[in-house]
Amino acid sequence: MHRNGAIQFIKTNATLIALVVLTVALALADPTFPTARNLSNVARQVTIVGIIGVGMTMVILIAGIDLSVGSVVGVAAVVVTLLMQYGLAAWLAVPVTLAIVGGFIGLWNGFWIAHYRIPPFIITLGMLTIGRGVALSLSSGSSIPVADPSFAFLGSAYIPPVPTLVLLALAALAVLYALAKTWRESRKAGLPHFERDLPGIVATAVGLLLAVYVFGRGDGLPVPVAIFVVIAALAIFVLGHTRFGRRLYALGGNEEAARLSGIDVYGTKIIVYVTVSLLSALSGILLASRLNGASPNLGTMFELDAIAAVVIGGTSLAGGSGTIGGTIIGALIIGVLNNGMSLLGVSSFYQLIIKGLIISLAVWFDVLQKKNWAD
Amino acid sequence: MSNVVLKMEHIVKEFPGVRALDDVNFEARSGEVLALMGENGAGKSTLMKVLGGVWPYPSYQGDIFIKGEKRRFHSTREAMDAGIAIIHQELNLIPELSVAENIFLDRQPTNSFGAIDWHQMNADAGTLLAELGLSDVRPTDQVKHIAVGKQQMVEIAKALSKRAQILILDEPTSALTDKEVTELFRVIRGLRESGVCLCYISHKMEEIAQVADRVVVLRDGRTIGEPTAISEITLDQIIARMVGRELKEMYPTGLRQRGERILEIRNLSVDHPSLPGEYKVTDASFSAYRGEILGLCGLMGSGRTTLVSAIFGAFPQATHGEVLVEGEKADIRSPADALRLGISLLTEDRKALGLFQDQPITFNTTISSLQTISSPIGVIDISRERSVTKEYIAQLNVKASSTDAIVGTLSGGNQQKILFARWLNASPKIFILDEPTRGIDIGAKVEIHKLLNALAEQGVAIIVISSELEEVLGMSDRILVMNEGRIVSEFTRAEASREAIMEWATGARRMET
Repeated sequence: MHRNGAIQFIKTNATLIALVVLTVALALADPTFPTARNLSNVARQVTIVGIIGVGMTMVILIAGIDLSVGSVVGVAAVVVTLLMQYGLAAWLAVPVTLAIVGGFIGLWNGFWIAHYRIPPFIITLGMLTIGRGVALSLSSGSSIPVADPSFAFLGSAYIPPVPTLVLLALAALAVLYALAKTWRESRKAGLPHFERDLPGIVATAVGLLLAVYVFGRGDGLPVPVAIFVVIAALAIFVLGHTRFGRRLYALGGNEEAARLSGIDVYGTKIIVYVTVSLLSALSGILLASRLNGASPNLGTMFELDAIAAVVIGGTSLAGGSGTIGGTIIGALIIGVLNNGMSLLGVSSFYQLIIKGLIISLAVWFDVLQKKNWAD
Repeated sequence: MSNVVLKMEHIVKEFPGVRALDDVNFEARSGEVLALMGENGAGKSTLMKVLGGVWPYPSYQGDIFIKGEKRRFHSTREAMDAGIAIIHQELNLIPELSVAENIFLDRQPTNSFGAIDWHQMNADAGTLLAELGLSDVRPTDQVKHIAVGKQQMVEIAKALSKRAQILILDEPTSALTDKEVTELFRVIRGLRESGVCLCYISHKMEEIAQVADRVVVLRDGRTIGEPTAISEITLDQIIARMVGRELKEMYPTGLRQRGERILEIRNLSVDHPSLPGEYKVTDASFSAYRGEILGLCGLMGSGRTTLVSAIFGAFPQATHGEVLVEGEKADIRSPADALRLGISLLTEDRKALGLFQDQPITFNTTISSLQTISSPIGVIDISRERSVTKEYIAQLNVKASSTDAIVGTLSGGNQQKILFARWLNASPKIFILDEPTRGIDIGAKVEIHKLLNALAEQGVAIIVISSELEEVLGMSDRILVMNEGRIVSEFTRAEASREAIMEWATGARRMET
């Protein structure tokens, strides 16, 4: 009984455990890994894939896929820098880019998928190619520098340590409030809660403490990391506590049943594909800001990292089950792995192999778990 | 008689909570067509699955004799090797492959290099097709390019190529045109002449009269009477065997008054999804009233489900005709529109079309009425959701560990009650239920009947589809009968009898046109 409990615990929290083991091992292997400066770097690197991963989680939840996200990153980076070249101020260029790149590509993908029921794999594969072509032709194949210096704020600025600490304290309070509320409700419904929620609580607490350690001094909290945290928190709320979130799970779990339950399948799909494109465009803008310029090849292969983060995080490719929390852990595993392997001097060729193996392992594990459930 | 090739003795097959076959006995001879008849759910298909090895040996009790020899099939393969072939309602062909490839699937003749000998295979297929008198199908045609009737012939050719001595046809005409049916009967008679034993499952009376030599009736998993020569039995007697059951005290009758008309359907037709110009439902017109339970009967494939799904907005493109709700023309283009107008549809197949198996009871209960448990901007009040769900769990007597139990782990009856709760929570004015009690135990059935009575008394208009005649007769104030996509007759509770309904449903009686 006790042993079964332990196995069950490991099974349900496998990715979290993997992340902890990986982090501890890297900290022991290389003294530069656990420094605040390096961890801050990891956080910033994770941000880009993480933001796309949030959108990708929604797409995969409804049993779809979006392969065009990497190209959207490229197009958005090129468009936002070009708009500034034409004299548009940064604060205008950003929303315009989000709307015309993210909005339009999302609508395009969503329309074909919802209206003509074209497999998302195919239509977004097409958009992957189209998008890259658009980025290359708009930029004539060369890099574009940033014309408005205020644009750098988004990707490179920091929130200083003191306000950061205040924000973290507020975040901790918000988490505590949410927990208290869930517990009260669970107790009222007579549900077990403590055991079930424990790993999540510990992870959140450790995360907050780490955040204090990493961002509470030095330069403070990088703006893109803050943006990512806000987006992730919003997404967690939307998926778990809103009608829209419910529709996604219903749609992915059983599309026909969802339709016959009165869910607007068409509209929901469009919104999801627009959301993932908007988030990808945002990632492209952040990246251009950080690099202080755009290259038309930005974002190449990002779709694979985003999908990998989602899958490692336990979201089923068949749709209907998965969480944003899982995706964040998945993105962290990929980020920590990339960073750690570079620090340890693992050749980038081997890095690819190792990353691929980990993705395969994650999917295998997912299949195993499903099988147990079926038995 | 000496030419008995198939004998089944004391066959019993149980599923959790249901005894699908309960002491079935019959024998079939070579060179005859034995019709196997019975209402939906009488056990015909289960019996054939036992014979075909789909339900392997230790999962049933009783004995099967093939040509006097006792056999136990552990797999479909063993049954096939013993000369038994089943042609299912759903054809098992691979549409992308050619006719010959389908006939010899996995048994293709090979040449000395081990490669497929196409020439030989096509020639063999050609011979088989010629034996069946199919001159217009070539062995090289892709199966997806030939008509359904011909595809069925390909299935038969496939069975013959395996030297099947016992050929079972499960509702073979359900997708065929009249001309194709004639063709099929010609082939069946030919096979009979050559000594094959054919078991023909159907509930269409006229077909039986045309093609069968003897008929055996199944009811509630039992064989009723001996197999009888078709010349010695009337259609009425067959129907009597199929239905002859006493109405148990399962149907609480409330005192209720029919209210005003709330739903009117005018000339509703639904296009056939794959046959252009044909209809799944033709010209259906009827009305439903507050406080009335309207029963909708018909055999499987008669268009019942299509009709109610079309009203619910499931096929907006294929549906023609008018729907009036509370006297006003309703433009229902999706289930969401129907829900807004106060129509609920409890779907027939709770697994495929109803429940979200991996989600908790709460999710499944509230998914069609999320606005009742959320703020205007869409934030869900989880504790309200749980308390709403809890009320239904109590009201419907659902057995579950908590409101958050995963629906897939519940029993069939409890799952059905959750689906019920979903549609009740949408506060329907018109509640349509497609096979609401299929696959659930008697206790749950009675509870659902009581609930429907209570709803009708509250003034909800209820439309119930059921394959169990008894249920329709017991519950309904008024009964519509469908046959081949049309509403063919209407009965009041007082006028209705099983025999009369069956006559219309099987097409034994037709409208004067």
